[in-house]
Amino acid sequence: MNGVAILGVGMSRFGMYPNRSVHEMACEAGNLALDDAGLTFKDIDAVYAGHIFHQAMTGVRAVKELGMTGVPVQRIENASATGSCALREAYLQVRSGVYDRVLVLGFDKMTQVMGSAPSPQDMDEAILPAAFFAMWATRRMHERGTTPAHLAKIAAKNWNFGALNPVSQRQAKETVTPEQVLASKMVAWPLTAMMSCPIGDGAAAVVVCRDDLAKKYQPGKPVIRIAASHLGSEKYERGHLFMGPVVGPAQMSRDAATDIWAQAGMGPEDIDLVQVHDAFVIEELEYYELLGFCREGEAEKAIEEGWFEASGRTPFSTDGGLIARGHPGGPTGLAQIWETVHQLRGTAGKRQLAKARAGLCHMMGGGSVCAAHILVKE
Amino acid sequence: MTDAPRPRVPIKEGYFSIPDDPAAVPNVVLSRCADCGEHFFPQRLVCGKCLSRKIERVEVPARGTLYSYTWVHMPLFGSMRIEHMEGYGVGQIDLPEGPRVQLPLAGKRDDYAVGIPLVGEVEPLREESGRDVCILRFRPAGSPS
Repeated sequence: MNGVAILGVGMSRFGMYPNRSVHEMACEAGNLALDDAGLTFKDIDAVYAGHIFHQAMTGVRAVKELGMTGVPVQRIENASATGSCALREAYLQVRSGVYDRVLVLGFDKMTQVMGSAPSPQDMDEAILPAAFFAMWATRRMHERGTTPAHLAKIAAKNWNFGALNPVSQRQAKETVTPEQVLASKMVAWPLTAMMSCPIGDGAAAVVVCRDDLAKKYQPGKPVIRIAASHLGSEKYERGHLFMGPVVGPAQMSRDAATDIWAQAGMGPEDIDLVQVHDAFVIEELEYYELLGFCREGEAEKAIEEGWFEASGRTPFSTDGGLIARGHPGGPTGLAQIWETVHQLRGTAGKRQLAKARAGLCHMMGGGSVCAAHILVKE
Repeated sequence: MTDAPRPRVPIKEGYFSIPDDPAAVPNVVLSRCADCGEHFFPQRLVCGKCLSRKIERVEVPARGTLYSYTWVHMPLFGSMRIEHMEGYGVGQIDLPEGPRVQLPLAGKRDDYAVGIPLVGEVEPLREESGRDVCILRFRPAGSPS
């Protein structure tokens, strides 16, 4: 099997863009990734296009803007994990030797599709998604004594990382404090607006290739290798919630961690930075434990001691996370890859970490799938 | 002379049933696996535990224990009633039969705490074609409906 490397990344800044089409955003991100890789669209063997929303064939049509060379183009969709799953398809194809150079493109324009929000006629969709995550927080508060101040500290960290990221949707002009986060509008108790990700539009792209080709295309540059790729879905256990866009069983993330550590021959102690699905801040807190970056029941202490901040032992959500960088849907998982690649290359600007050799990207999709990748600089 | 009460209908069939007696506790519609006995809500086609295809429909009274809850500061989806505009509670309720259901809560946040016993009630959202379209929600056991 081939080793798989990431040759290039590109992003169109997430935000609210009523006057930009999905094609325009996807084309911008795709061309940035191709330029970063040092390739042209003619070099690409296949494209995976990830979008949650928009009509059939939107992916293929967006790719036409980049070039019409006859390459296979395939849409991938798995809710929030769409971009991560599109990357995984590219990884599997390059790893198995079917293709050598694959473009992964993720995009969505949530501001265009909010009219297709859940129908109030449907019992399955009648509750606001924030409520599901809020109930995870309430339960945690009951079991572990977590306070809204713990949640606010995580959110403030992510807002402040976002301010250092030029493609972050939210860029606060002044340092955000936990007090501001707590004082923002209550969405679903105990979660406030500043503890929740915004809706938005955007695109991100990644070029994946055989690792021996990466050395040829980019001599003298470090090779960023995909050391592990995981995708899993839910296992039944008593108490499973079948209705609605749910949080998903915690076990899915534990299983993802077990798998990627085995694939990469690594453990949490080998990872320098982590990106997670922090659509609502309670998620990041839970993933500290579920992915093994602290022991069960230790997250609150770890937050108080700053383990996951820029200067801590393993910084999380270093580009601002879903909460600040944004979460348009299809491109979100690829934005995590964009950030990790820049950190590993040492090109992350003001938010560059002192030590960045290996990074973990974790994504949930609709509470029903969990994707995870480890990137390692060699 | 008072108007006869409008007939009450569930917002969607197959999730809960509304008793004729307004004071009676509504029923939750579950699937029960004929092979392993596991219960599911909503109804399922294949047993999620043992993969048996022998699934039967059962109705049980809407009673349970609060596993977790929240209060949403948005209008309740699909409701036309002024008292639903300020927001609504949502709870995860463990039924004694096993399933954990996720449904709206009545009243206010201070009425609730993890672990308290709850009972179901039928709540009208709006009138449609002379009938009240209703959801199933929960309230603390022993509190007035």
